[in-house]
Amino acid sequence: MTAPTDAGLFGALRERLADAAAAFADSPDALAGILAGMVDDVDRALGERLEIFPVCHHSPASALAMLRRLRAKQPKVVYLELCEDLQPLLTELRNCRLPVAVQAFATELADFPAEWAPLSVVAPITEASAEYQAIAYALDTPGVELVLVDRSTDHVFQWTPRPGEAGSTPAGPPGEATVGAEPAEEAALHGDAVGVEIGDLRPRFAELEAYLLHHGKVRHWSEWWDQYVERPLATADHDTYRQVMVLIGSLFRRLRPTAADRLDRDEDRERYMWTRIRQHLAASGADPADCLYVCGAFHAASRVEQFGLDSTAPDFAISPRTATRWRYGLIPSSHSAIEAQFGLAPGSVSIAAAAWTTALSRGGLVPFRLDGQQGGTKRSRRGRAAVAPAPATPVADRLTGFLAAPPVLDELDEAELRGWCVDIVRLARRNGYLASTADAIAVFETSILLAGLRNRARPTPYDFADAAVTCIEKDVVPGRRDVRRLCEILLGGDRIGQVGYDSLPPLARDVLDRLRPLGLDLEKRTVQRALLDLRADPALPACSDLLWMLRHLLPADAVRPIMGERRLGHRSPQESWDLALGRHQRALIELGYEGVTVEQVLEQRLRRCVRGPDATAATALAAVEDAIRLLDSPRLVDELGARAVELLSAERTVDDAPEVLRRIRRLLAHHRTTAARLPAWCEAFVTTGYAHYCTLLPTAFVDEATGVRQVGAMLGFLFGMESLALSLGCDRSQLELAVAQSHPEAPAKVALLWASRHQLGLLPLAELRDRCAELLANPLVVPAFPQYLSGFVHALEPAPGLAPFVVETMSTAFARLPDPVLLPWLPTLITTLRDQGPDLVPRLVREAERTFPGGLAALDAWVPPWRATGQPAPAVRSAPTGPATALLVGHPEAVDAVAALLGCADGWRQDAAPAAGPAAALVAAHPAAADAVAGLLTGASG
Amino acid sequence: MSDMLRAPAEVKYADELDWLESVDTGPKPFSWRLSPRMVRLFVLGSERADGLDREIPQKWFGDRSFVERAIVTLASDRGLLLIGDPGTGKSWLAELLAAAICRNSTLVVQGTAGTTEDHIKYSWNVSMVIARGQSRESMIPSPIMTAMEQGVVGRFEELTRSTSDVQDALISILSEKYISIPELDRDNIVFAKPGFSIIATANSRDRGVNDLSSALKRRFNFVRIPVVTNKRSEAEIVRFRTEELLRRHHIDLDVPPTLLDILLQSFADLRAAAASATSDDEKLESALSTAEQIGVLEDAILHSQFFGDRALRPEILAGSLMGSLARRSPEDLAILNKYLHGVVEPRAKQDGGDWAGFLDGGRQAIASLS
Repeated sequence: MTAPTDAGLFGALRERLADAAAAFADSPDALAGILAGMVDDVDRALGERLEIFPVCHHSPASALAMLRRLRAKQPKVVYLELCEDLQPLLTELRNCRLPVAVQAFATELADFPAEWAPLSVVAPITEASAEYQAIAYALDTPGVELVLVDRSTDHVFQWTPRPGEAGSTPAGPPGEATVGAEPAEEAALHGDAVGVEIGDLRPRFAELEAYLLHHGKVRHWSEWWDQYVERPLATADHDTYRQVMVLIGSLFRRLRPTAADRLDRDEDRERYMWTRIRQHLAASGADPADCLYVCGAFHAASRVEQFGLDSTAPDFAISPRTATRWRYGLIPSSHSAIEAQFGLAPGSVSIAAAAWTTALSRGGLVPFRLDGQQGGTKRSRRGRAAVAPAPATPVADRLTGFLAAPPVLDELDEAELRGWCVDIVRLARRNGYLASTADAIAVFETSILLAGLRNRARPTPYDFADAAVTCIEKDVVPGRRDVRRLCEILLGGDRIGQVGYDSLPPLARDVLDRLRPLGLDLEKRTVQRALLDLRADPALPACSDLLWMLRHLLPADAVRPIMGERRLGHRSPQESWDLALGRHQRALIELGYEGVTVEQVLEQRLRRCVRGPDATAATALAAVEDAIRLLDSPRLVDELGARAVELLSAERTVDDAPEVLRRIRRLLAHHRTTAARLPAWCEAFVTTGYAHYCTLLPTAFVDEATGVRQVGAMLGFLFGMESLALSLGCDRSQLELAVAQSHPEAPAKVALLWASRHQLGLLPLAELRDRCAELLANPLVVPAFPQYLSGFVHALEPAPGLAPFVVETMSTAFARLPDPVLLPWLPTLITTLRDQGPDLVPRLVREAERTFPGGLAALDAWVPPWRATGQPAPAVRSAPTGPATALLVGHPEAVDAVAALLGCADGWRQDAAPAAGPAAALVAAHPAAADAVAGLLTGASG
Repeated sequence: MSDMLRAPAEVKYADELDWLESVDTGPKPFSWRLSPRMVRLFVLGSERADGLDREIPQKWFGDRSFVERAIVTLASDRGLLLIGDPGTGKSWLAELLAAAICRNSTLVVQGTAGTTEDHIKYSWNVSMVIARGQSRESMIPSPIMTAMEQGVVGRFEELTRSTSDVQDALISILSEKYISIPELDRDNIVFAKPGFSIIATANSRDRGVNDLSSALKRRFNFVRIPVVTNKRSEAEIVRFRTEELLRRHHIDLDVPPTLLDILLQSFADLRAAAASATSDDEKLESALSTAEQIGVLEDAILHSQFFGDRALRPEILAGSLMGSLARRSPEDLAILNKYLHGVVEPRAKQDGGDWAGFLDGGRQAIASLS
């Protein structure tokens, strides 16, 4: 630790503070210690050979001070508190429209808990920030080196407590801040990334912040900062700025919860940064007088042993990075996303941006901007004229004067306030408010009165917003936005950044290139409608393929089909899409971290999906379907299909049986219609499935956890695929044995078993009918009859031939079940049919339609087919004719001998009975037509 | 003061106001007795950082910015309309502001369906008119007219309860700041003196009964007072008001903090239930405001004082709560019964203590009400 340079520089201040502590505090020693320590911190930071420049995030005052200092000092090396591995990305900022966030992203983790995946770190960068000024200066000034010195993103997570360790949070990787539960679209631009920022300066425990807000008579932290730090420092000189900022950093550092884990991390970061700075200075041989160290004010007041170039403490041992593969990129950010992520008041970043612009124009300052930067004001070349660096001047005590002087009241800027008042009334009117010029006058007056009440001459944006709400907001909000929101829009509004084409990852660029035939500007943030006539333009089918893949990979709103679909074996000739790729740029960019082309990413995702720990046969079949539908890659389909077979044979439950049955049926139908023979994996799936389900059938029948729907689907697989399975070498006896071993007790499953025995030919229909009749006759079993019926309905899957019987049983049940049983069951029947058997219902309805009379008139005479007692009409037999018959008639001996051998005493005889009936009479009376047909047929055969 | 059942704020806090006036050096608008900062301090209480020799207690609990907005509105050209649910402290804030600004909070017009234009402007003493004819002497000025003449703050309670034509009489008062008396030939205009303003209150639950016209809305600044949902602030309010009531009734009785917690918790639970209800039948008719809590507690205290053993018991609190909230039978009773069995009973089993007594008292109360 470095000792204070001397007691002289801030000696007077130290004495005054000690006196104040003695006069006011109950325990003067503690307070005096804190106050003197703060002055010591300032003294030490300013006495350091390497110039430390304390900053606060999103502070225009910091940015202005940085701008002035860079112009005056023109350092050769700038050390910046930002993750060191993000350095290569910074030059890409010039292709973007700010705010954007620098992102590090990892999906393949090594040495981190798997449940943390994917890891994501973002560092948002706005134009009105000190760090951007430093970056722009360093990157665009020849001979200046920018060195990022903070720990790498890998260390961010290395230093995060593991689950179960002290200080860990239950879900996910804890970060400095994460986005809230239900953020608005713009506020969710960072997703669930961990945010890092330069110059996090805020009280480290809630009570201190609450105390400051209460006594500062402000509502939130951003307003406190604006009133008590930002405005007084906006016009301060360099020394005053530095001393005050370090003092504030020191205040928050000293007033903190003891033994806070986070402070240890902060101190480790400081050790890390000083170690890196020393290493760089030693390696480059740069003169510390030409260097500038930009860090948060909190770190400027550091007391770690490595602090200062003259420290003799050994370097901090920096642990190696893990083998995690980090990918880097830029993602769009927005003011509201930054506010949401770092817990700032809504609108505060926008207000800071507006304050920055005003301060620039008022001071006639020209900010540093990266060459080629999109958006914002253009930089004039005049501002870059080289000015000789100002000579270093000895540090003087500015702190005493600053703390002792009354606050300098900013003068009222009438023109600015008048402009705001007129604009808010105009905006309010456009949003449905009945606002008029009188309101503008009232807002103006109220703003000044409110500012006066709050000890300031010049109304801040917060005073103005309060005044506007007071004067314009009435009992209802007429439109979508209330006056407070309108004020936010007026005072800068939310600004959303965009990553330029050149800074996009290859995949995102590839997507934009390949969608160029659509003729749309996909970088726009609006939703755009694309119309694709796939037959008209040969370039469009490729676009359509890509869109379907993106549909699978991106959030639902990014790419949305309005018309057209792609199913197995079906493509629409025309499609229309709603595309919002510009709005979902982050999702597209993060897709780019996974691969170089969309196809590659899709392939990887499908593979990961079937190899994952929660993969099932059903998900694997879904992946196969997606692979056929979207990629059309037989190699991948075979691979995924083979995996589906493995998964099926390894499954111990049959929960997914209905899904498996549905999907494999669809895939078999597809392959049968598109290829000469089934692929090997399909055959393997059917044979494996047959054996697998046969094995599990007896258990599934008795297992209470297995539903009747699942057993029905198993039987559906076994009976529906039976012929294919048998042709592939399966043995039917396996199924017969499985059914024979099944002894269910639940009524629905008993019914299913009966149906399967019937299907196997082991239980005739008549017996089945008798069993049902017995059930209905037994008053003890009647209440359970609906469950039997439910089983029979599910049996339609494996035994569709039972449909007439099911209709019959249902009809009988309606007729005979007592109301107390029937009525409660009816809703269950309807919901069961709707939920579980959408494909069974049409079958049932068709059969019912066939069975029951169509009209009311026919109902009286209708007899249920199962009650019809009449004998079936004898079949009309036709007399055999032809040369064979003629031969037999002519020579019956041989046949008679065979008949005698077989024990038929009557021998062979021709049925000479002539055909009877009106048709036969008609043919006999008018043989000409029949003869003509016979002649025709004979002629044709001849 | 002692012979008043309820002294108005300017009487009750006369010492405090006198003292504040004596130390006030800030600029005062119009004829205000205190500067805006001192008005804020009077309403919201002082802190050490204010550097005053005397501590000023907080009298209204709520967001500081509401009070600031209300004060600057009164210093401007427009009227102030405090709008919010019943029991959120609108009238109390209006009274405090009027007392602090002009030491007179009694110039009040109560808006009802029967309020006429005469109540806002002026009426006549009929016998004097018969005896001496129409003159300023035989005229009876309304509280609003008096406020205009004196340059002080007039109050209009429940503005939206009065009919539209009565409301519209305010438009000219707020714009032109005078009332003409066409019945008189001379001296027939009453001009408002500087410092005149109007504080109106409106109940947001009455929206749609007599909606304000756009013209009147334009002449008022609206400050919406929300229901206090912060448990800590609510506890402060209930404690503050209850102490005042106890003082008024000369009752020496302690409110145990556990019982105050039970009261606050039960209101919070019932509010949550009301928020998730899908129809009016599923929520209590009561607005469950802070004022209602104070009413329940006051009732329980009075009951304990006069019919109990001079100590507040959970059973009595439960009885008061059920009695105050059950307004409709069977709807409200069903909701309260559900609350007792679904929420209070498990809590009584788990925590015991006063919750068990609260449950017993609640059951008895419901049994006697059903």
